[in-house]
Amino acid sequence: MTTYLLRRLLALIPVMFVVVTIVFLLIHLIPGDPVAVILGPEANAQQIEDARRELGLDRPLPEQLLSFYARLLRGDLGRSYFLDRPVTQALLERAEPTLVLMTCALLVAVLIGVPSGIVAGAYHGSWWDRILMSAALLGVCIPGFWLSLNFIYLFSVRLGWLPVAGYASVFQDPVLAARYMVLPAISLGFNQSALIARIARSCMLEILRQDYIRTARAKGLAERSVVYLHAFRNALVPVVTVIGITMAILIGGAVVTEIVFNIPGLGRLIISAILRRDYPVVQGVVLVTAAAYLLINLIVDMVYAFIDPRIRYA
Amino acid sequence: MQRLIALALLAVVLAVPAVADAQKKGGVVKIGNLGEPPTLDAHWTTATITEVLTNHIYEQLYSLDAKSQPIPMLAESMPTISKDGLTYTFKLRQGIKFHNGKEMTSADVVASLNRWGAQSTYGKGLYARVAEVRALDKYTVEMKLKEKTATVLISLAIPNNSAAIYPKEVVDKFKPAEKATEWIGTGPFKVVEWKPDRHIKMARFDDYKPRSEPASGYGGKKVVYVDELLWIPVPDAATRVAQIETGELDFADDLDLNAYDRLKKTAGVQALVAKPYYWLVAVFNKKEGLMTNPKLRQAWQAALDMEPIMKTVAGGHGELYRLDSSLAFAENAPWHTKIKGLPWNERNRDKAKRLLREAGYKGEPIRFVTTQEYKWMYDFALLSKQQLEDAGFTIDLQVVDWATLVKRRNNPKEYDAFTTGMGNFYDPTHHIYLTPNWPGWTDDPDLNRVLAELQGESDYKKRFALWEQATRIFYDKVPVARYGDLFGLRAMRKHVKGFDTTLMRPRFHNVWLEK
Repeated sequence: MTTYLLRRLLALIPVMFVVVTIVFLLIHLIPGDPVAVILGPEANAQQIEDARRELGLDRPLPEQLLSFYARLLRGDLGRSYFLDRPVTQALLERAEPTLVLMTCALLVAVLIGVPSGIVAGAYHGSWWDRILMSAALLGVCIPGFWLSLNFIYLFSVRLGWLPVAGYASVFQDPVLAARYMVLPAISLGFNQSALIARIARSCMLEILRQDYIRTARAKGLAERSVVYLHAFRNALVPVVTVIGITMAILIGGAVVTEIVFNIPGLGRLIISAILRRDYPVVQGVVLVTAAAYLLINLIVDMVYAFIDPRIRYA
Repeated sequence: MQRLIALALLAVVLAVPAVADAQKKGGVVKIGNLGEPPTLDAHWTTATITEVLTNHIYEQLYSLDAKSQPIPMLAESMPTISKDGLTYTFKLRQGIKFHNGKEMTSADVVASLNRWGAQSTYGKGLYARVAEVRALDKYTVEMKLKEKTATVLISLAIPNNSAAIYPKEVVDKFKPAEKATEWIGTGPFKVVEWKPDRHIKMARFDDYKPRSEPASGYGGKKVVYVDELLWIPVPDAATRVAQIETGELDFADDLDLNAYDRLKKTAGVQALVAKPYYWLVAVFNKKEGLMTNPKLRQAWQAALDMEPIMKTVAGGHGELYRLDSSLAFAENAPWHTKIKGLPWNERNRDKAKRLLREAGYKGEPIRFVTTQEYKWMYDFALLSKQQLEDAGFTIDLQVVDWATLVKRRNNPKEYDAFTTGMGNFYDPTHHIYLTPNWPGWTDDPDLNRVLAELQGESDYKKRFALWEQATRIFYDKVPVARYGDLFGLRAMRKHVKGFDTTLMRPRFHNVWLEK
């Protein structure tokens, strides 16, 4: 197990290398000029040239790439052109809101998705199944931003129950933090819960058709223990995979939610960085997101072994 | 002159109710704006958001009054100018403190002006004619010019990319090409913290000494009643509108014009029309390609019908746009021209077709670059395309993001025309689109001659005549196509009192909260 883990961790290095190279090339190949954006619309050509030299943007691309690698090996992600601070600091400042949002949305997704999938699967063809799966279909179809704007209009503008947008740290003001987090977590989590519900249901259906379930029923076990003890645990493996994917999606996919609800997280950081061509920040966020993806994958693989003792890594 | 008096009277009338209410101290004003400033170093960028924020932190030797005329701010009085017009002597106010507690002296002023002259767009323009700036004594600064220019005072006074006075230590620490990251000024507010994407918090500067003259425009007496300003970046326009409706924000800037009706109907909210904002413009590439042919540019100008374009861009609201051919806004009274019979808004398709024939134009596609990041740019570009194609043009509308547009417009090979907006230029010599160094490269000998004369002339009447002449040349040579004036939309909760709604950019001194 340990050697397997080490091998997997080592394998991350070449993947990350490829990722950073592609990101570097992509962001530098799309047209656009960070300096012209920073200096403002009235700046003239000479000022722009001077500032480009100051930032080292006038050097040939391969040279910039090499110095990017060199810095990266020292653990230095560079300095933001726009924010006047190291990229690492900018990332750390915005990690908390994104992680909190991701955790809350994931909780919403799992707490809605898994039970409704299990119920729909166990009572296949019933009214419950139909209602839950129609809701899930709706959840997959409704775009997150549309849901967000309607939530804001209903719960904030009309009813005045919750604030429109903003963020407070859970460590400073948990009540306010919760009030800010309710709408974004639900609008982000709802979409994902639909996916989880559908997967959970189909897994349940498949498992319930297996021979050992028939055996269990033939033994005279109560339906409850058949479903929850024998079927559920075996249906979990694919569900965990989907939850892992959901986490990854939530890290990268919270962009729209963060903008609409004005949450100062990584999604907002990368959007503004792309619009301003703040190259070091874009590279930094993608690097961190890619690393998170890979780690989540690894963790999911580890969790398999705990759920299903038949899975062994050597 | 009568008009000026009328304007002055109007300003007084508008100011009276503000004085009549009893001002209250305390409270926090929450202001929603559309994003992060690139810097809080005023010398560094012309970005509007930096202009708005920095004018609360720093001050200049001069400021602008309600009629866009320079008035003393950190300078005690108007300067003494030598007979030959080459030496300006500025007396500074005494006992003015920086936010760090240090007194402002001539050493700070000399250092700051030199830094501004090396980095700011307007500073560089003025410093091309400056021989030396030096301290005569602790409170006197002298500026010696190489050649006469009428732009000394206005350059020192304009609020954009401004000649903000920093402490000398800050200037010594950050060379001009490096953004200053210590924001210390003499202004009525001091920076408490800047948390990117969360807020910029400013607090009342208790050692601030207001001038004795009444408030006018950006200058005069500034009193701070509120404890704090909280500038919150809210990138989504719909969210900004919702937050002003619920009262989460006290003030919201740069709102979607389509929200105008909804805001007017919301109780407790006052919708404000921000004037001036931009005049819309298609800038032609006069260095390379099709639009180097003046007849094509004249044809473009002749084909346009401004009314439907502006009405659509303004979301159908007549209060949010204005048709005007003057290159300076009506609000910029000293330079607003009223010339009749200019070939502007001609709606003359036949003339356009004739000019296209004379130009030998055979339907080659004209690359017109715009962006959806600013909706109004995309809207007017799209409507122009239709009108121009009706007159015989072939327009290749290229929609890119703003960062791409500002890069492309510096390369003469990549476009024929691009969209942007022209803000308020306080002096005729500051109209960048008339100069050779700015994208589009207007390098017209007649315009250059008139602008050079404007630069050296100091008599206002003669300068105004020259400015009218420049305007006529502009409409003949068409370096850019001027569309109508578009106004901005902002909104304020009604408990915010004392806010001067006539200002182009918001200022929160003299503002209090009635809660």
